[in-house]
Amino acid sequence: MSTTHSPLIHLIDDDAAVRDSLALLIGTVGLRVTTWAEPLAFLAGFDRQAIGAIVLDVRMPGLSGLTVLERLRAEGVDQPVVMLTGHGTVELCRRAFKSGAAEFLEKPVDDELLIETLQTAVRQHVRSRERHQADREARERHAQLSEREREVLGLIVAGLTNKEIARALGGLSPRTVETHRANLFAKLGAESLAQLIRRYAALVDEVPPAGHP
Amino acid sequence: MYSGGACHSDRPFYFGSIIRGMHLRSRSRLIGLIAWGVLSLLAGLGLAQAELIRLRDAFDTDARIAHRLLSQRAAQHDAILATLNLLQPGADGGQPQQRLPALYPQVLAVLQRERGRDWPDADLQAADAQSRALGRAVPVRIDLAQGRCLLLQHGEPASHALRLDLRATVPWSEWPIRADGPQRVSLQFGGQSFVLQAGHGVPDAAPWPYTFRKVLASPSQPFDVVVERGFGWADLPWVRMAAASALIAALLAVAAAWWRQRVARRRAEELLRLGQVARLNTLGELAAGIAHELNQPLTAVLASTQAARRLLADEDHDPADTPLLRQALDQAAAQARRASDVLRRLRRSVERPDAGRVLQPVALDVLVADTLHLLEPESARRAVVPQVVAAAAPVVVQGDAVAVQQIVHNLVMNALQALEQVDTVERRLVLTLDTDGGTGRLRVADTGPGIPDDALPRLFEPFYTTRPGGLGLGLSLCESLAQGMGGALAAEANPPRGACFTLRLPLMSD
Repeated sequence: MSTTHSPLIHLIDDDAAVRDSLALLIGTVGLRVTTWAEPLAFLAGFDRQAIGAIVLDVRMPGLSGLTVLERLRAEGVDQPVVMLTGHGTVELCRRAFKSGAAEFLEKPVDDELLIETLQTAVRQHVRSRERHQADREARERHAQLSEREREVLGLIVAGLTNKEIARALGGLSPRTVETHRANLFAKLGAESLAQLIRRYAALVDEVPPAGHP
Repeated sequence: MYSGGACHSDRPFYFGSIIRGMHLRSRSRLIGLIAWGVLSLLAGLGLAQAELIRLRDAFDTDARIAHRLLSQRAAQHDAILATLNLLQPGADGGQPQQRLPALYPQVLAVLQRERGRDWPDADLQAADAQSRALGRAVPVRIDLAQGRCLLLQHGEPASHALRLDLRATVPWSEWPIRADGPQRVSLQFGGQSFVLQAGHGVPDAAPWPYTFRKVLASPSQPFDVVVERGFGWADLPWVRMAAASALIAALLAVAAAWWRQRVARRRAEELLRLGQVARLNTLGELAAGIAHELNQPLTAVLASTQAARRLLADEDHDPADTPLLRQALDQAAAQARRASDVLRRLRRSVERPDAGRVLQPVALDVLVADTLHLLEPESARRAVVPQVVAAAAPVVVQGDAVAVQQIVHNLVMNALQALEQVDTVERRLVLTLDTDGGTGRLRVADTGPGIPDDALPRLFEPFYTTRPGGLGLGLSLCESLAQGMGGALAAEANPPRGACFTLRLPLMSD
């Protein structure tokens, strides 16, 4: 993860003047900009891991902005895409949003609007990456639970007390349940019942991945 | 940059229509021939049938008259015999019956069986007995080959018989059938036949033979009156049939000419309309092209200047950033220049190559008449009858005929559309042609709602329109066309109400 760097904006436009001036403008708020004249070169070479956003011109020779957008989505690229166009028809706009564009702006674009849009997009991207990261960690921790601990977790999330859990699991002693409970709190890194439920409730109903104990 | 769109759309249409036109022409000619053939055949058949019916009716009438006349004669023979038998020879022994042949040419002789005697011949005696049994005269010794027969009636004490000459029974003075006519008239009995009139032509060989056959009204003379006639090709009304066919051909030719003229007119209208549509399409694409071409530099100018402003507004602006600032401003200036270049290039590309155009003499009178003819359906639909006030001499200006027609077409269409807004009875459209110094002048005046005062100065601006849904390019185009030909287009009010457009074009110098 390249979180240490400032966010990176990819700007794809076939017009050099537009490219340079927009890059200059975006640079004034401290965002890093990489410009691309060729849609294909961009698709082949940009850093998919970087935090940031993509600014795409709709009308380009070779590959249209919409096609590029569709390819990015098909590839699962998660950077938000802002579309730029000379004259935006309703139909064009509809297609762009349907293909997953984050925003649709008309040229010439005002600096406030462009920068605001890009900052929002970057913020969204950061948040979505963090959420993604947290999800992955939770999943990894959850996978370390034993079969019994997973059962106990399910019953905790369902709101049962230790005694009730012991009874539900066929006459375990509440003490044993208490041990499982302590273990799973430790393994999942949860500090309170509320935190445990917030992070792991969604995983309880999922079928555990095959091959895990 | 888009250019030359009109050529792309026009050319395929033009060639296509010519090729289509050629196919249509030969096909319509074939259809015309077939129609002519079928109609001529039908008319011929109708005429022939009517003529044959008429001839047969006449034939039937003649035959019936002939039958009636012969039947009257037969009845006369019966009456003579009855009279002879009634009178009987008197005691004086006078023979008045011997005078009968002198009175009736068909009676060759009168035979008598004297009182108390038999007929000398057995056949007569047998006939006498038969007549006596039937109570009427009977025929004996029928010799149709010679045209002879005896008619015998039993009487008491004496019987009488008439020897008849069948040919002489025909009352030629009243006879309806001409001797030199085509009818064959004969008397037939028991397989024998006596020809009264041979006629010319052989009925049996004719394509349509016709026979009248009826037995004489008198039972004592049971001869069939047979009238025959063959109707042949020569009897058909060839002259009338040919005349009908020629008439049909003439009517079809007139209809075809009318149709062709209609099609030609519609095509001319279509071309004119298409020309306008193509021009508007070109303008639309041109506008889109300009928008794109200008948008790019404008985007860059805006972004650069805004970047520069942000750099300057930055509190801890680093003086070392000056190169960046200069870069932004340089970029803005360069892009502004690029935008202006786009406009210059555009103006050059749409400029009319007026200098290269050869101006030809254009007869305004003819052109106005042509245009009004083209627009006749449009005027008729609005119940407007355009009035043309022409000058004494033809007004010949110099210009490009197509461009002038485009202007006149536009002006008349505008006037017609304006007239839609007033009452039908108040609609007037007057086109006045005259000369004014060195210019030919065409005024198109209507009694429509007129032009609002505030609209008058802006009327020829592009994209200015007073009509809802109008593009506002028609008059602007007309004005530039007129100016391109060294002329002018002006608008004024047409008191008491309406608008008047004046087109001026330089007169053709001799």
